[in-house]
Amino acid sequence: MSRKIIPFVVAFVLICLVMVVAGVFAFSGAVTAEKFGSATTWSQSYSAAESMKAIDLTGDGQDDLFIQNSSNVTVFDGSGNTQFSFDYSSPKTTLGDVNGDGTDDIVVYYVGTGMSVDIISKGQRTTIAQTLNIGFPARAAVIRFPSGPEIVLADNGGGLLALSTEGKVLWRATLGSEESRGLDDAVINGQKYLAASNHDGALAVLDEKGNIVWQNNPGQIRRMRAFDLNGDGTGEIITGGEDGQLIVWNAADGAEEFSRSLGQPVSEVREVELNGEPSTREFVVGGKDGGVWAYSFDGTTANQLWSGSMSDKVTEIAGLDVNGDGKEEAVLGDDSGEVAIFTENGSRNNLPTHSSGITRIDIGKFNGARQVVIADGSSVEVNTVNFSSLPGFQYTPLIVGVIISAVILLIAAILASIPPKPAMKVSFQDKSRESLEAERRMLKENIADVERLRQAGEVTGDAYLARLKSLRADLAENEAAFKAQGFPITVETFKCPNCGGTLQLGMDKCEYCGQVILS
Amino acid sequence: MGTILCFIGVGVILFFVLFFMTRRKPPAKDAAAKKDYTPVFLTLADKPDNILRGMDKLVADVQRTETAGDRWWWMPLLIYISGFGLMLVDGLLDALGYFSFIFTAGGIALWIAAFVMAFSLRKSRAQAFSPRYANTKSILYTLRDDLRPSTTFLGHLDLTGAMLPTKVAREANDAQNRTTQYFRDEWLNLKAKLYDGNVLRVSAIQRIKQRKSYWKRSRISGKMKMKPPKLKGSDQQLKVRIAVNPGVYKIVPNKEFRQGQNIGKYTLAALTTEGGIIDFVASSPFDEVEPEHILNVLHSAYSLLQRKAA
Repeated sequence: MSRKIIPFVVAFVLICLVMVVAGVFAFSGAVTAEKFGSATTWSQSYSAAESMKAIDLTGDGQDDLFIQNSSNVTVFDGSGNTQFSFDYSSPKTTLGDVNGDGTDDIVVYYVGTGMSVDIISKGQRTTIAQTLNIGFPARAAVIRFPSGPEIVLADNGGGLLALSTEGKVLWRATLGSEESRGLDDAVINGQKYLAASNHDGALAVLDEKGNIVWQNNPGQIRRMRAFDLNGDGTGEIITGGEDGQLIVWNAADGAEEFSRSLGQPVSEVREVELNGEPSTREFVVGGKDGGVWAYSFDGTTANQLWSGSMSDKVTEIAGLDVNGDGKEEAVLGDDSGEVAIFTENGSRNNLPTHSSGITRIDIGKFNGARQVVIADGSSVEVNTVNFSSLPGFQYTPLIVGVIISAVILLIAAILASIPPKPAMKVSFQDKSRESLEAERRMLKENIADVERLRQAGEVTGDAYLARLKSLRADLAENEAAFKAQGFPITVETFKCPNCGGTLQLGMDKCEYCGQVILS
Repeated sequence: MGTILCFIGVGVILFFVLFFMTRRKPPAKDAAAKKDYTPVFLTLADKPDNILRGMDKLVADVQRTETAGDRWWWMPLLIYISGFGLMLVDGLLDALGYFSFIFTAGGIALWIAAFVMAFSLRKSRAQAFSPRYANTKSILYTLRDDLRPSTTFLGHLDLTGAMLPTKVAREANDAQNRTTQYFRDEWLNLKAKLYDGNVLRVSAIQRIKQRKSYWKRSRISGKMKMKPPKLKGSDQQLKVRIAVNPGVYKIVPNKEFRQGQNIGKYTLAALTTEGGIIDFVASSPFDEVEPEHILNVLHSAYSLLQRKAA
């Protein structure tokens, strides 16, 4: 093939490769230019929220913002105006319709006259229990057991206490000896049960009378949540350990359905419908060192979708369909104040950073718009999150591919235009008979010279053989030149069948490679 | 931010690597660089004019290739900068809040293309021709008129390098088992039938003595250290044999041309005139000997010849 053609052939192959890759990127939709932004609708000062929820607490059909910290419970309306606010000592709260009026109420478990419980319904506070025989408040939950709702309180020493909606003690139980790290309703065959866990690793499912359905101890638990991930009417309990162990348990019998070591303590677990496919449920896990993992649960086990990272301990996770594609994005906050949105494929998009660590994030509909509520160390902020993308950006790989192809073609053209390097072994040879004969004589003289030098010990070993080989090769070329010109010549050389070196006729062993020559 | 700075740092380093790869080398002046010559081997078996023309053509061809490559030396840098430009598009998008990597990927592809091109252009470069190439041409040019009509020069010009493994004439070990190699590079071999009927044979040989690298244990630290090869000496030998035409000349002794005599850069080391053949060896301690010194030796050898009366 011509030397000028080769660069173009190589260029053609490369261009094809580049354009195929560009086409794959362009038509698979893998390349997009998207951004998420946020604008603050309103904000209020509120220090270190421990619990926060966007929910209708006034019965007007509009979401309000419930928020609680270590000394206060407040509800703002959708515009940020305070609806009501109560101060408490070390309160722990939960939400649920306790009085059956169709509107969620706030249940407050706090240190008052002994350990007390208040119900705040539409701004009206009622104390339903005092001097309860339970320890310092850790968690509270309203569980809708088949027999009716119960208020379950968990203290920091492993104690559990269930109250009726009127404040009557129903049952008491002890689970481990450290503070509660999870109190949630677990579904078994469509019926609600209580899932409870403690920091010392105690994990149990209890029925409406406080009887333990099953229990286990996988080691120190940092976070516990219960979801029905496969929609079969029996839920799954997810625990995240101090040792980084993430386990999905079957709520009915405590069978371990999935387990994975994440290498860092699990600080938060939330369900987020990442792929918009209702037959599979996804959950996002945050780690104490900033690790983020998304899993999809297919009914029997979980598969990791992607992993990412935040800058610091993940403190909160929430799901929000920002771009209206039917798939939720995961909104994560960390202890350094960073807020980021992770999309279905795990790409991270940052929202404005807060000056103090994020404590809570929730999604709500305020004044008719879906908004993200972010609470940090000093304030609570309601943000409208928006999404924008550059139209047609997915075809940019084709443009880039064309640019690269043009450059490849240009390089090929330049390289083809450069003349080949001349050979550096050149023979200036006159083909006349006299000249060829003179050359032949000289070569024979030179061979004799080399032999003489070897005998004198001036040249030995490889140098002698190399020079001899070169001279004999020249002699063979001289013979070939004689033949080509049609001059008679007595051939005196032959080629070694093994190494190709030129030898004198009559030799029975190659001097260069040692091959015995039989012919 | 750290990643961006690291990326910019790598980019700048690559730019300078590319710049030094593509830029034209200035002519070498120092002794060390002088050794990097284009390896050339010429077989001489033609009329002087053809050989001289061929030698000129070879130089012109090499220069033509080099010039064609040098004309595009800036192109790899331009492609490299274009790659940076593509990456800046991603940077701009990033500044606007959009995440994109496709232009960066394209930029990296252009960088690769720039390096491939720079490497290919570098391959079109040739090292300088050894001064012996021009010296030989000068000798052939001077001798061309002394050549018998319709005869040719015979021999070779071997400028492939003096210290090749195939040019190790012998090796010797010293008491410490260190190996010394003796190189014998017959870089010029020439035979010519002269106009006056004499036959001239000239061989220019460079002899080099070099101790090979070896490992030695340090007396102080006890560590094994590699000692580099050491050049122990180098000289030039000129072997000349003139078969004298007895019909034209007779050989007469001459005080101007005797053993031990200095002729230019050469010293006459051995001389015999037996059997109507002048055979002598002249040696020189210099690395390079100019053509006029070689021609001067040849000219001086003719002082041994006395033209017979017609």
